[in-house]
Amino acid sequence: MSNKSWRDLIAVDELEKDWVTRVEVGRKTIAIYDTPTGIYASLALCTHGGADLCDGYFDDHVIECPLHQGAFDVRDGQPIAAPATRVMRTLQVRVRGGQVQVRI
Amino acid sequence: MSQGIVTPQTQALAEGKLTRDELKALMQRSDGPALRHLALWVLVLAGTTTLITLAWNSWLIWPAMFLQGIVLVHHFSLQHECVHYTVFRTRKLNNIIGQICGFIIMLPHRFFRYEHCDHHTYTQLDGKDPELIPMPKTYGEYLLYLSAIPYWKTKFTEVSRHAMGRLSDDEKHFIPKEEHAHVFRDARFMLGIYALIFAGMAVTGWWGLIWYWIIPLFLGEPVMRFIRMTEHVGRPTVAKMSENTRSNLVSAPWRFLCWNMNYHAEHHYVPLVPYHTLPRLHEKLRNHVHVEPRGYIGAHRDIVSQIQEART
Repeated sequence: MSNKSWRDLIAVDELEKDWVTRVEVGRKTIAIYDTPTGIYASLALCTHGGADLCDGYFDDHVIECPLHQGAFDVRDGQPIAAPATRVMRTLQVRVRGGQVQVRI
Repeated sequence: MSQGIVTPQTQALAEGKLTRDELKALMQRSDGPALRHLALWVLVLAGTTTLITLAWNSWLIWPAMFLQGIVLVHHFSLQHECVHYTVFRTRKLNNIIGQICGFIIMLPHRFFRYEHCDHHTYTQLDGKDPELIPMPKTYGEYLLYLSAIPYWKTKFTEVSRHAMGRLSDDEKHFIPKEEHAHVFRDARFMLGIYALIFAGMAVTGWWGLIWYWIIPLFLGEPVMRFIRMTEHVGRPTVAKMSENTRSNLVSAPWRFLCWNMNYHAEHHYVPLVPYHTLPRLHEKLRNHVHVEPRGYIGAHRDIVSQIQEART
């Protein structure tokens, strides 16, 4: 069992609808995605060029990097379009008491 | 906080040149505008092809082939947009159309994508930007570049090198290892298709594609070289996006042909913005980027005057 604890990130009401929202947690930037099938989260930096995915283009379940347009499926972090080739690190997410929580 | 590369887009947001809502609205994709654009594109191509057919037995075939060539070389502009996945909302369509464009102009799509990534990361930085066109030092260098002879030499060398399973040191820098084999395969596939087409023409004795495609492509490429020079050549070789790139205000037919890529500085600011909303982005950023109001001709006047100044 993971020894990571659940942390409140942001109220569900404050998420950008059908888009990606940036949240800072300590030294980490987390990207929270509001998708047609629920909320997902990942570390915000692109695994290709290191740009901030929170300024990228989000459509359905795909986040596209603002620098080179590499794209990832936010459900499992898999790269789905070049130049992205390495998996993006996704985080476990749940909603409790109107708060988006991630295990980190 | 964790630090990533600060993109011009992130910087523009931080500096308040764009709001997040404006950016979100500008980035929205759709298949409709590009499909309509493409339909008209095919009609234009059909028109220039008809002109070649009508002029077949006269000297007028040469201007007709030149016109066809101007359209053909602009498949580069469409391919460029496809590299950014911004032509169609449907991701696969960008890849399919991009591959077709690349085949028409002999520019393998996957290779171009990786090369273009570094162009956006290191725009105008000497030794780092793989697409950098050096500022000509003499009129001779200027005219040689416009002839497209160095361009074709590079392209033929590049595709042959990849087909032989080799990459240059620079290419190894921007193409990830796991993609090397795919780049080689793409080049072999492209050359194989070309060989099949030529074999088909030899067998059938119908050499029409030479007149409808190959000669027009070579005749038209200097026009694309003329346009490509206007994007960065003569601008400072610095990282600052507002300085190193030039947007050119050109007439509607040229905007149609280049898929709005005349708004080049805006494109570099936010590569995620589809071609059809670039004019709206231009309205937002026009005071923050370098704009050449006299268009392509104005940009070349600037380049030529810099050559002249350097010589005196």
